[in-house]
Amino acid sequence: MTLEQIRALLPLIILVGAAVAIMLGLAVRRNHAFTVAVAVGSLAAAILSLALGPTVATPITPLLRLDGFSVFFSGLILAASLFVAVLSHGYWNRRRTVISEEFYILLLLAAAGSVTLTMAVHFASFFLGLEILSGSLYAMIAYERDRQAAVEAGIKYLVLAGGSSAVLLFGMALVYARTGTLDMAAAAAKLAGALDVLTLAGVAMILVGIGFKLALAPFHLWAADVYEGAPAPTAAYAATVSKGAIFALLVRLAAAMDIQSNPPFQATLAAAAVITMFAGNLLALRQSNLKRLLAYSSIAHMGYLLVAFLAAGTLGRTAVGFYLAAYIITTLGVFAVMIVLSGTERDADRLEDYIGLSRAHPLLAAVFAGMLLSLAGLPLTAGFVGKFYLLAAGVGAHLWVLVAALVISSTISLFYYLRFIAAAYAQPAAPPALPAAVAMPRLARLAIAVLVILLLWLGVYPAAVIRAIQEAVAIGR
Amino acid sequence: MTTVPMMHAMIVAAILLGLGLTGLLVRRNIMFTLLSIEIMLNGAGLAFIAAAAHWKQADGQVMYLFIITMAAVEVAVGLALVLQMYHHLRTLDLDAASSMKG
Repeated sequence: MTLEQIRALLPLIILVGAAVAIMLGLAVRRNHAFTVAVAVGSLAAAILSLALGPTVATPITPLLRLDGFSVFFSGLILAASLFVAVLSHGYWNRRRTVISEEFYILLLLAAAGSVTLTMAVHFASFFLGLEILSGSLYAMIAYERDRQAAVEAGIKYLVLAGGSSAVLLFGMALVYARTGTLDMAAAAAKLAGALDVLTLAGVAMILVGIGFKLALAPFHLWAADVYEGAPAPTAAYAATVSKGAIFALLVRLAAAMDIQSNPPFQATLAAAAVITMFAGNLLALRQSNLKRLLAYSSIAHMGYLLVAFLAAGTLGRTAVGFYLAAYIITTLGVFAVMIVLSGTERDADRLEDYIGLSRAHPLLAAVFAGMLLSLAGLPLTAGFVGKFYLLAAGVGAHLWVLVAALVISSTISLFYYLRFIAAAYAQPAAPPALPAAVAMPRLARLAIAVLVILLLWLGVYPAAVIRAIQEAVAIGR
Repeated sequence: MTTVPMMHAMIVAAILLGLGLTGLLVRRNIMFTLLSIEIMLNGAGLAFIAAAAHWKQADGQVMYLFIITMAAVEVAVGLALVLQMYHHLRTLDLDAASSMKG
């Protein structure tokens, strides 16, 4: 392995090294603040090593490849992990009953798995990255093992993710049986667009496996229960990092295999996109639990992303990159508000918890409203520009049905976001369910401030970011 | 020694996957659910082995090693969660684990 390749691998080496260091350190002495510092420091170092890494596309063994595409998505994932780590500090500090340090080991390992996914150009690294990510997520979901809901959510996710992994693997085996190679690009070249029954079934099974992990309809039923049972930082992680990494992999796989131009897959994925958008938004209408609402809203957002994904081309990939960035910032923002409001006993996930928020914490209420408006796609926010790009990509590729479905279903979504905003600005009839004087940790305040700045920056002046993304996805091909 | 044609092994693998999937959908006991996942994973593993034998490569066998490793992880975490579930609910019936609705 050359020095250049080791430089390209540095983010992974730093993350895994830090996870091992924390694990060994915990055997000697437990200190929550120090553990957080190591985790945040290593995530920042990993981002720095990405920024200072090789500028040309570097293949690292046949398994991984560092190029503009993986640098962009890895950066996004690492930054999101960093925010979750910072927010977890205050959250676990308040839950004195839980041993909190191991959470950061799992978080770093999950981040390593996600980074592997964004770099994967081989079925083996794809599978390994996915399993490192899901294996850590099982434990992160069921982390509060004294709560029955958390254990239930963990079991549910484990059973469904295990089953879908098996289907995904079988699909890979079928493609391998026909082509004799596990390299994505080489396998695609051998198939050369002509798929027989065996490989058609293989690629379909791979897509089913990915669809399960992204919670695309009709495989979306697990998401709400898992988010509700999981502690808020884990739910934030599953909604942002894990989905972003898997979507990045889907984009790379599709670019190699040219899935979008294959009529049966195009039709199926388009149908899945429409069902996903409507199922997510319609099911969210009835939710008065913020975590379940965000689960359904994230399902709907994956449906929106599929529109740009199906549009393909540079514009489609740019739209996917920008929308994922906007979605991750916004979702993290909503979860950040939930995390700082969460008390010692339970998470602040009920509608009642937000009634009269503007009285107790005017600034926090404003942030909450802004983030929800961005999820709904209102102007001046990142979500608006993102949605604009999705529509542009869809129109450019003449996907009229999908564009219509996107517009109609995102109008529906306004209703449930506004319900929570209205609650936040309503007069409290009774004293609030949660203690009003939540002492906000300084770090969490800083994180929320940065998220708000990013949200407005992407919403008002997106040109610089879009140019960077265009360059990144252009190399990605 | 006569070799087994790849297609035959693939059919066996597909049957294993189907059996596992049926078990996953039908059985309500968490232990059988975990067993069914193992059977599905082994179906996928067998398919990789068969394909590797057909192409005379080691890649498929390496994938099988990854699959057993992952299956071990799944069982380790899975059984830990089963213990916790039994602790909370005093049953291994998955239908009892449905406190979340909506």
